[in-house]
Amino acid sequence: MTSTTRPRALAAVLSLALAATAFASGAATAAGYPDKPIIMLVGYKAGGQTDLVGRAAARVMSEKLGVPVKVVNKPGAGGVVAAYELKRAAPDGYTLLFHSNSVINSEPLVMKRAELKPDDFEYAGMITAYQVGMATYKDAPYDNLSQFIAWAKKNPGFSYGALSPASRMYMEQIARKEGLDVNIVPLKGGGDMINAILGKQVAMALSGGINYKYPDQMKMIAALTTFRHPSAPDVKTIEENGYPLGMDSYTTLILPKGTPRPILDTLAAALKAAETDEKFKKIVAAANIPIIYKGVDAATDEMRKSAAKNKTIMESAGIQPK
Amino acid sequence: MRRANVISGVVLVLFGLVTVFAIIPWQIDPAPEGFVSPRLLPTLMMGVVIALSALLAFNNRRAGVADDPDAERNPISRSEIMALVKIGAVFTIALGFYLAVSPPAAGAALIVGALLALGERRPLVLVLMPTAFLLVLWAVFYKILGTAIL
Amino acid sequence: MEHLIVGFRDVLDPLTLMWVTVGVTLGYVLGALPGLGKATGVAVSIPLTFYLQPVAALGLLIGIAKGSAAGSAVSAILLNTPGEPSSAPTALDGYPLARQGKAQKALKMGLYASVIGDFVSTLILILLAAPLARYALLIGPVELCAILFYSLAFIGSLSGASMIKGLIAGALGVFFATVGLETETFIPRMTFGLLELNDGISLVPLAIGMLAVAEMVVQAGNLKTLDRETRAMADGTSREDRTVLASEWRRCLPVIARGTLIGSVVGILPGLGASVGSFLSYGATRRASKTPEKFGTGMIEGIAAAESADNAVVPSSLVPLFALGIPGSVIAAILIAAFVLHGLTPGPLMFKQQPRLVADVYAAMLCASFILLAVGYFGQSVFARIIQVPLRLIIPGVLLLCCIGAYMETSSVFSIYVMLAFALIGFFARKLDFSFVTFLIGFVIGPNLELSFRQSIQILDHQILNLRSHPIAIAFIVLTAVTIWLIGRGRTRKPYRTPERAGTASISAEAEYQPPSTGRNNR
Repeated sequence: MTSTTRPRALAAVLSLALAATAFASGAATAAGYPDKPIIMLVGYKAGGQTDLVGRAAARVMSEKLGVPVKVVNKPGAGGVVAAYELKRAAPDGYTLLFHSNSVINSEPLVMKRAELKPDDFEYAGMITAYQVGMATYKDAPYDNLSQFIAWAKKNPGFSYGALSPASRMYMEQIARKEGLDVNIVPLKGGGDMINAILGKQVAMALSGGINYKYPDQMKMIAALTTFRHPSAPDVKTIEENGYPLGMDSYTTLILPKGTPRPILDTLAAALKAAETDEKFKKIVAAANIPIIYKGVDAATDEMRKSAAKNKTIMESAGIQPK
Repeated sequence: MRRANVISGVVLVLFGLVTVFAIIPWQIDPAPEGFVSPRLLPTLMMGVVIALSALLAFNNRRAGVADDPDAERNPISRSEIMALVKIGAVFTIALGFYLAVSPPAAGAALIVGALLALGERRPLVLVLMPTAFLLVLWAVFYKILGTAIL
Repeated sequence: MEHLIVGFRDVLDPLTLMWVTVGVTLGYVLGALPGLGKATGVAVSIPLTFYLQPVAALGLLIGIAKGSAAGSAVSAILLNTPGEPSSAPTALDGYPLARQGKAQKALKMGLYASVIGDFVSTLILILLAAPLARYALLIGPVELCAILFYSLAFIGSLSGASMIKGLIAGALGVFFATVGLETETFIPRMTFGLLELNDGISLVPLAIGMLAVAEMVVQAGNLKTLDRETRAMADGTSREDRTVLASEWRRCLPVIARGTLIGSVVGILPGLGASVGSFLSYGATRRASKTPEKFGTGMIEGIAAAESADNAVVPSSLVPLFALGIPGSVIAAILIAAFVLHGLTPGPLMFKQQPRLVADVYAAMLCASFILLAVGYFGQSVFARIIQVPLRLIIPGVLLLCCIGAYMETSSVFSIYVMLAFALIGFFARKLDFSFVTFLIGFVIGPNLELSFRQSIQILDHQILNLRSHPIAIAFIVLTAVTIWLIGRGRTRKPYRTPERAGTASISAEAEYQPPSTGRNNR
């Protein structure tokens, strides 16, 4: 290139580059919510139960709201990293977190660094529940908690699978009250838990609900929520068994504090559409996840009440944040 | 390599000691009743590192400088250290761009910086490469696959 | 079996095949690019698959997984920057071969080994999923603990020149793996208050930093020498150097068989991953070889061993998924989401409720193996040209890709910091001759070992005599003791290094390839 054409070529390339970057940043103005894509954070890696429900919900909401809802996975610390990310986001309704509400009302009780309170956020609704309970293999010689306790007394040194220190708490309380000799086996995640039960390595384990995928091989002994599981209506809850330890968790749409009420209502309405959407129902049914919808006020109420209740339960069990 | 082995050995021994006596007790709480201590495995591993590193240093100091004359005096050449420093600087600048300006700017800075650090001087390449890379990445992730990565 | 025929008829429709091809190609390219890997590719394509028919969607995703397991050999061989940690052993012998002008030969063997490993493993999946899965259930924490101890014993044979350094690296690997919340007590270990470290240091950014970025820095420090060698290489490539000879086939076939077997077994066991498979296969092949000291200087068997194993892991890791619904690997976990999205619930009921869809998926997987062969063959001649580009243009590009690959893990800059930290560590490890292979093994196996050990203590009710009811575990413990004894004996009889020759690179059986004139030119 000669010395005169080179600078010109350079200028051409530079302006091309500038144009490209300007194009990429996109325009974002005008009133009327929503008018640009919404980002939905999920606090787990792609592929888990929550991520699945989140993506399905995102699709339904996308259709209802008329803008794309993009799912971004931000795994870390059971969702706490995503929650902190959300705290930093602008309360304009374009960033939300779809996650189990346990990230706000349970995790901070065991994790020192997770300083999250229900009042730190706004809630635009809840859509599905986690059917947490105690599960075991199908041909175990006990069908409910009292039968299990009777069996346990005759078989000291049995194994129980727990997914976290919080989940040990149930067995520890029961063992303390009934004088059982139990070995608590730490498990890392749902897959581990299924392996352990199907392989009969443990007598019982805490399950987050995926045991319902194997109705021929696993059964539920006691529901650890305050309501009976829709998938197992004959199984008593832990509260009905005499232990006031029920803790509920729902997938929740969480938004930064200060997001205006009209925006919350719009999102809640879009979320409600999932209740009746065929595809959404099919997906969650395939994973045995029950749809339990709560609107803005009901959700906020649930957050406050459950946070207080969980705090009482954990503290009386002696669980301290680490 | 001998001298380097001795140095590595000594450095690792020091690192191990600092870890076992300072970092582990500071960062890991002792175990509650009845549990296997969370400090057990890290301490055990560091113990292995300390012992073996001491052995490494000892073995290499012993045999003196009577090795074969072809052996490198210093396994790390000057140009490699320079490369490390230069690329480190490029990354630092690029991260600065990421935090202060924007991710695409950081990507461009990384490529341009690295090109310059490696001796590339042709302005056409310096402009075309970052543009091309960023454009292709944008097209693939945002348009074709439809997933925002930022 | 009739189902399978129907499955083929469904799959051999041009649209479906096209999507499988897209998947394989995408996976191959992603694998070949250092920094980006299959987990990234699969996760990013999940939204795309919303719009596709179930079989096409699943074919796309599985194609990506298969393609990247094969493609990762390309950057390992050509640039010494493995596209995935599981191709790290491939680089050990592949890169020296490439520097000797035999890049095409190395690439071809990598591809053939990958395809064979992949195909045979897929057959195993199809024929044996159900019975295998039942046996897999017998492997509980106690058995797993014993098996992992056995795998660790291999570290002894993978240390290469300096067993001491190899063990140090392994111990450091285990140490770094303990960062994070301890599984039983949730007590944070060395997280320094950073929430991002609660789940530990992520393997992908660590591997990208240690293997790819560190390598790029080293190459940047040797630009002139490497470029000169590349130019010299381009001038003379005989046919011998570009293809795989019959004699080499004969040597490699048993290696490939062994690698496929090891990879398949590792894939079925939960939580181990493709890296463990390829490392073990490489180690086993080297121990079985008559010239173990030549590994690391360009033994083609090394490539065959590593690639066949790392590809065999992919289909067999779907065995627990198909038969029991349990994801045994990251890929399987992501695939579960895709399966459920398209109405297929992985698990034992899958075969009863949707046999046709299952057959379609199986057929798609088998087709993918053939497509992989074609894509790889064609892709190689394209990729091999990369070598001709001057390094100073390649390095910046690779660095950017590494940043993106690391970032994609957690969608946060933190992973890039992790990558850089381990790039620094990796740089010194390379130059000071500390094996990153044993480091990675320690890092991957360590946490599994600790967790299964804690679980075993509980299951055995704190009494070691209860081991009696776990015969498989006892068998592996015995096997471990025997292996350690054999390794110890092998070393004293055939010292491929003696203390006096500790540092010389000449006989180091596992040192990364260092151009002989480095350093002297730069004093």
